[in-house]
Amino acid sequence: MLSYKWVEQFINGEPVYEACCRTNVGGYHVTDYLKQLLSLKYPHHISKLTWERVEELKMEHCYIAGDYASEVQLFQRGDKEAEDKTRCWQLPWTPSPVEEPPSEEEIARKAALKEKQSQRLREMAEAKRSSKINELENELKGLEFLLEELKDIEEDDEIVSFLVSRGYAAKREVESAFAKVTQSLRKAKGEQVPSEEKVDISAAEKYYLIDIPDDELSAEQLKEKRRQVFLKSTTEARQRAKQRRLEEELEKEKEKKLEEQKRMENPECYLEQLRAKYKELSEKLEQRKRLKTNGNHANGNNNVSGGVGRGERLNAAQRERMRLLTTAAFDRGKGEDTFGQRDEDWQLYKLMSRDNDDDDDDKPDHDETELARISSRLREIDPTFFPGSESGASASEVPRFRPLTKEDFQIILGVERFRCPEVLFNPNFIGIDQSGLDEMVGVSLRRLPSWVQGLEDKMTSSILVTGGSCLYPGMGERLEAGIRMIRPCGTPIKVVRATDPIMDAWRGASVYAAAMQFPQQTFSRTDYYDKGEDWLRRYKFKYTI
Amino acid sequence: MEREVLEAELVLPTHMKFKKIQMYDKYPKGQARGRHWKHLKQIIQAENYENYPPQLPTYVNIETPPSMHPGKKICDITGFEAPYFDPRTKLRYANTEVFKAIRSLPNDYVQRYLALRNAAVVLR
Repeated sequence: MLSYKWVEQFINGEPVYEACCRTNVGGYHVTDYLKQLLSLKYPHHISKLTWERVEELKMEHCYIAGDYASEVQLFQRGDKEAEDKTRCWQLPWTPSPVEEPPSEEEIARKAALKEKQSQRLREMAEAKRSSKINELENELKGLEFLLEELKDIEEDDEIVSFLVSRGYAAKREVESAFAKVTQSLRKAKGEQVPSEEKVDISAAEKYYLIDIPDDELSAEQLKEKRRQVFLKSTTEARQRAKQRRLEEELEKEKEKKLEEQKRMENPECYLEQLRAKYKELSEKLEQRKRLKTNGNHANGNNNVSGGVGRGERLNAAQRERMRLLTTAAFDRGKGEDTFGQRDEDWQLYKLMSRDNDDDDDDKPDHDETELARISSRLREIDPTFFPGSESGASASEVPRFRPLTKEDFQIILGVERFRCPEVLFNPNFIGIDQSGLDEMVGVSLRRLPSWVQGLEDKMTSSILVTGGSCLYPGMGERLEAGIRMIRPCGTPIKVVRATDPIMDAWRGASVYAAAMQFPQQTFSRTDYYDKGEDWLRRYKFKYTI
Repeated sequence: MEREVLEAELVLPTHMKFKKIQMYDKYPKGQARGRHWKHLKQIIQAENYENYPPQLPTYVNIETPPSMHPGKKICDITGFEAPYFDPRTKLRYANTEVFKAIRSLPNDYVQRYLALRNAAVVLR
């Protein structure tokens, strides 16, 4: 996959193999560097940055700066010249339809529609209510009539049979039904229901069986008693809870009053305190959230830049756990084991256990409610307050809400245009510890046999560059300048570019293969298999033109 | 003709006159490629370069030596000259704006920037 640059020396048409020099940096690295840089700069458009596309960008826009430092300063200052040198790639983008503010009549129409709907709903509710009241009144009348009738009948047996015929078991039942209906009628009519009173009144008769000892009751009554006991206890519990809630509310009210008082005393100080508290809490929550979600941001793009370890996939909390486990595994038996001497040591196991981050789930909840409370309070009293204005997360979320513009779909090539090809001259940009092209020429010259006088000058006056990477504008000038720096003053230097750098090597081989002497000058695969590579190497290839 | 062929900018002829063995003979369609490509490292190892006399130029020993000049330090984000270094993220930066940016970068982006110059810490 790698492509290489070679420096080869020819003396009198003979290659000097000893003076060869090779670097591991080539066009692949330039493209890869550009691709990585752009995808880090524009993570949203990573799908558009395919290898082919970046290769095209490289061939079209990249150039080699005459002097990297001064060129980059041009961009740092933001000169006019730098602006001219900046290229912009506009990605396909369609403006989202601009929403026009609704006209006056539109608003009026909508309001009317809404009003109509609510009117209808109101009417429906009214009709329902009146029908319910009617129903209840009818029932009440029936019950009243029943009670009247009951008054007329004196004997007990007759009462029972009469009630059974009407669907009731006892007189008490009729009375309770009567009470219920009256109550719901009142409710329906919108009157205040004296519920407390009702409970007090009915408590004695509702639970009429509770105070009677068990052995005086029949089986049926026992069952009824148990039910009543249960009912009573639940009602009481409910009442107690209500009481508690009331007390809590009172407490809160008191706290609020206290705060209000504080505020009255010193409004600025109070506001300051509140703000500080808000900031602290929001930061705390933010950090926790980040810890939980960290590492899952760009999983898909991670593997572009090389191997993805197991650790990279986990989030920070998990990674911390992993670290603890590994240190624990390798720590044993090394030196004196003091584990457990202090009580804190045992906390380690709690951290190590898998579900340790689920443990403190109720705590963030508490923090969150507190945060919500403070922010609402701040909003009440502080007109300049904007929730979440200080936290970093919402700052990064802001662009999501504003409509995307043309600029969001642009890929700007500025410094990248010459930063990427610069790796040919400074491979340490991409972490390869080798000398660049210009220095390599010096290395090669030093490797030349030293017995010929003036050989080095002869060499530098005819340098041929070939291969795709020499197509960058400015390549020849830069190479010349670089060589001039390492050679003595007045050295003749001439850099010639091949006429067709990409295809020349192939063309040469093609011409050679088509020539008549090709079969005599080459070895076949069978030769290699029969005689071995050592025999081949003895030939010490001669090169004649 | 198929649609993809018509749309393609460049179509290689299936039959090449100068080839003794055509591609379609060598790799019949539907069959997995029989050829196993060796990696560069494997080839170098198979060549047994260490057995040759050291002065003989081989693929490995013609490689250019490390640079004699101190490496240029450039800002990892912008490419400007970087006089500063952030000890927390280990990134180099050019000015305060870039510093603000790198402090707010998520950790995996920092690692990817570092990986660009082979300085990333790979946790395994």
